[in-house]
Amino acid sequence: MSEPKKVQGDLILSNITKSFGDFVAVDDLSLRIEQGSFFALLGPSGCGKTTTLRMMAGLEEPTSGKICIGDTDITDTKPYDRPVNTVFQNYALFPHLTIHENVAFGLRRRGVKEIDPAVEKVLNLVELAHLKNRKPSQLSGGQQQRIALARAIVNKPALLLLDEPLGALDLKLRRQMQIELKWIQTEVGITFVHVTHDQEEAMTMADTVAVMNNGKIEQMGSPADLYENPKTVFVANFLGQSNFIDGTLESSDGASVVANIQGTRITFPKARNNASGKDLKVGIRPEKFRLHSAGDSVNGNVLTGGIITDISFFGVSTQYLVEMAWKQELMVFEQNDGGAPDLEKGDAVTLSWEPQFTFALDANSN
Amino acid sequence: MAIARVGSSEKVYSPNKRSKRNAYLLLAPGLLWLLLFFVFPLLNLAETSTKTPSPTFETGEFVQSFRFANFIDAFLANQAQFYRSFTYALAATIIALAIAYPLAYSIAFRSGAWKNFLLILVIAPFFTSFLLRTLAWKQILGAEGPVVFILKFLGILPDGATITATAFSVILGLTYNFLPFMTLPIYASLDRLDYRLIEASGDLYANGATTFRKVTLPLSMPGVVAGTLLTFIPASGDYINAQLLGSPDNFMIGNVINSRFFRVVDYPTAAALSFTLMTTILILVIIYIRRSGTDELV
Amino acid sequence: MSNDFREMPKDPKTRSLINAQISRRGLLAAAGGVGAVALLASCGSDSEIAAGSFPEDEGGTVRWANWTAYMDQKRVDGERTYPSLNKFIEQTGIDVDYLVKYNDNDEFYAQVQEKLKAGDDIGYDIVTPTDWMAARWIRLGYARELDSANIPNKGNILDTLSDISFDPGRNYSMTWQSGFAGFGWNKDLVDEDILSLDQLFSEKYKGRVMVLSEMRDTIGIILQYQGVDISKQFSEDQFMNAIDFLKQKISDGYIRQVKGNDYLEDMANGDALAVIGWSGDMFSENLGGQNYGFAIPESGGTLWSDNMLIASTSSNKSNSEKLINHYYDPAIAAEVAAWVNYICPVKGAQEEMEKIDPTLAESPFIFPDAETLSKVQVFRGLSAEEEFNYSDAFQEAIGA
Repeated sequence: MSEPKKVQGDLILSNITKSFGDFVAVDDLSLRIEQGSFFALLGPSGCGKTTTLRMMAGLEEPTSGKICIGDTDITDTKPYDRPVNTVFQNYALFPHLTIHENVAFGLRRRGVKEIDPAVEKVLNLVELAHLKNRKPSQLSGGQQQRIALARAIVNKPALLLLDEPLGALDLKLRRQMQIELKWIQTEVGITFVHVTHDQEEAMTMADTVAVMNNGKIEQMGSPADLYENPKTVFVANFLGQSNFIDGTLESSDGASVVANIQGTRITFPKARNNASGKDLKVGIRPEKFRLHSAGDSVNGNVLTGGIITDISFFGVSTQYLVEMAWKQELMVFEQNDGGAPDLEKGDAVTLSWEPQFTFALDANSN
Repeated sequence: MAIARVGSSEKVYSPNKRSKRNAYLLLAPGLLWLLLFFVFPLLNLAETSTKTPSPTFETGEFVQSFRFANFIDAFLANQAQFYRSFTYALAATIIALAIAYPLAYSIAFRSGAWKNFLLILVIAPFFTSFLLRTLAWKQILGAEGPVVFILKFLGILPDGATITATAFSVILGLTYNFLPFMTLPIYASLDRLDYRLIEASGDLYANGATTFRKVTLPLSMPGVVAGTLLTFIPASGDYINAQLLGSPDNFMIGNVINSRFFRVVDYPTAAALSFTLMTTILILVIIYIRRSGTDELV
Repeated sequence: MSNDFREMPKDPKTRSLINAQISRRGLLAAAGGVGAVALLASCGSDSEIAAGSFPEDEGGTVRWANWTAYMDQKRVDGERTYPSLNKFIEQTGIDVDYLVKYNDNDEFYAQVQEKLKAGDDIGYDIVTPTDWMAARWIRLGYARELDSANIPNKGNILDTLSDISFDPGRNYSMTWQSGFAGFGWNKDLVDEDILSLDQLFSEKYKGRVMVLSEMRDTIGIILQYQGVDISKQFSEDQFMNAIDFLKQKISDGYIRQVKGNDYLEDMANGDALAVIGWSGDMFSENLGGQNYGFAIPESGGTLWSDNMLIASTSSNKSNSEKLINHYYDPAIAAEVAAWVNYICPVKGAQEEMEKIDPTLAESPFIFPDAETLSKVQVFRGLSAEEEFNYSDAFQEAIGA
């Protein structure tokens, strides 16, 4: 029945480490999440994102480090004393309580006086007020998900944690809920921290995405920034697909960089060079390539001498595999908008792309 | 075709005639078993309960005379034993619950790698006979046994006092013997309990005690109800514990039924007592289930 | 008495407890004696007794149902053999199937009652019930009359046993073994000989005394204490006086428990300092190293016997009679008595015992002298109505 202190501000994780025996789940992680933002922790399973979330919730204790909301240190605060609520992966609705009582649970524990109106309001927000007397087992997965959300946000926490909240839903429902979640977050203005392994989900909803790998944050930024300018091979591959061609830095002057990839000279903006040395891994996303019949004259960065080895039709786009003279197969997506020439397997082609879509990483990066 | 049907009709969930018939066929062996081993003996019991001794009083010979007063006579003559049966069984059930719940809770949530070992320990008493276990208690608690010796040495038990041949030892025996029946269902319901619900409760501002009261306990109620029934029902009909650990002043209704049946060969009284006991238990159980089922648990 | 093959307690109540334990595992037993339902289903049919019409004598193997540890035994190559029985088989060529089937008089009766009633073979030719149960068998016509011509040793039966109320002249039964009920005490904890009920129910033993759940033994001793001759007709009032005496001693807290043979455990663990118990038990425990005393009450003890009867359904009467005769040969009887240590019912066995074990021949527990026998009585046979009412009153008195 404790009333959590009115705590507000950015969520700050400082040098958080969590070990389970010899295994380091979260490794010296520092992070600042702006108040009121929609933040996503993205990463493959076992990367430490759920452990990080559970430490925010107070369900795990950090081995070392500090967690603050604004100026308030909550590292040692019990879960029930934290102004933090969680939407659990499988919702964790109380099966013995009605929807109304599930939603009212946190309010009752905090001794809030006006419970019914608050519950009514939040159930209206998730558009399930008519189900308030049902038991959780009588609801569909999507409805349960929304109740789990309502049960958390009704408490107006400083921080709302979502642990793979859409993982159990089918694709169509997931798309719909992504939009709803984003809308609700805007509506209530609470800081959302969303843990997911689904890059699309993270990018659709979050203002800021942090990509985690092996207990560390690989890169953090806006979805577009992460996608267009990944700083590591891991991020580049985790968010979408990438072609990597080995190359060397030739010159760097003013705003642009010249590099040699497999004998071809290309240029790209200096801001896109994330490498510190001369040996590069030059990345081009498949949809950035343009396909031309061999011999056509083209602008931008150009790679000639490719042979089409495979064509797959995807509906929106077509995927081509192009084998280059140095025996590397590059992947190319062409929109099926009539812009690309009619090409068949075995045709000789030239590839081109806009220099600003290039990104370069250290050759030994992975 | 199958796909088209799923979304379109509510009939999908209502079983058709054939599957209903199959369901009855599957139920048949169970029903037959019930009929043979429960209904028929029960009818026989009912029939026997209103008989009176034959005019010659020949052993085991009774004639049907629809003497329903048998029930009243049997009850009036053995009120004390009835009362004792239910109070002892109730006491044993409450004590067993108080011991079993924390035990089951620890095994379910706190035992880690020891879980299976502890469960085996809970079941271990079943590896020896019920009778031998009770006899063992008789030895342990005997007037010249170790427990009495220590208690007397410490001055807790006055000289001349004993532990066996008291209500205490009978209730202790009942509690001990039926403890696994209490522990296992509670353990099962706690073990099934999704630990995330406990985390969710903490996340929703409930501290440990409140979480227990509002989440853990209500969700383990099926186990508690099953455990208390599995303890109370056999305990109220038990006679071994009273026989071995009690004195004549501690005899329960089971002792009376046993003696009417085997010693006096008074089948009608034995039948009337059994019937009364069964009916009383049934009524108590129904009230109990109703209450624990409809009560607002939170 | 050797304990070698003492698998089950002798006391009927303990045996029934053990057997009830087995049936407890059954479906309804847990709900309190409801398990009796299934047994009830097998009782209570009103068919008339097929008296007078017995099976033809077909001969063959004699099947004998007896109690545990009640026959001289010897291990040969790990196999249990019965030397005295083997002698009979060698001498007569008649095969014997000796079956240890008796755990409890009532229980055994319950198992065979239906077949006896219907006149179907119960699976045994010779049965071995205790006096009062033997009385029931005889009364109901379930025992066949013995042909004295086949039992020339019949006259060897002790005089005290030759003419008893339930079978005057021993036309249906012959005693197998007998024993006394009297006072037993633990010499380690009791420093006097207990010779009277007043002594037994004195303050110093209060709450540490146990009496037998066998009605005829406990009430028999009380009745004699009250001056009633239990071998002769006594009134219901007299019986009820004894019941009241017992009730009083229970409610005043003198009697801790009313028990069967398992009173021995209570004596061993000190719960019982003194008891109304059986001679053989005290005797056998003496052999087992326990320091128990036994005495026949000054006011009189009881003498009980287990009896050999031929079941009404037996088609093997003459061979069975030959077997009964065999055990009334003094030499054979002595052989049995030397092993089981109960009272031998056969005249002349004492002389034979001299040859086997002179110490045992002196034992008043196996060969009671006239003085000992003068102090005990056999409880008279009760009519069916008396048996019903008295046993009801006794069970009620002991809290069940």
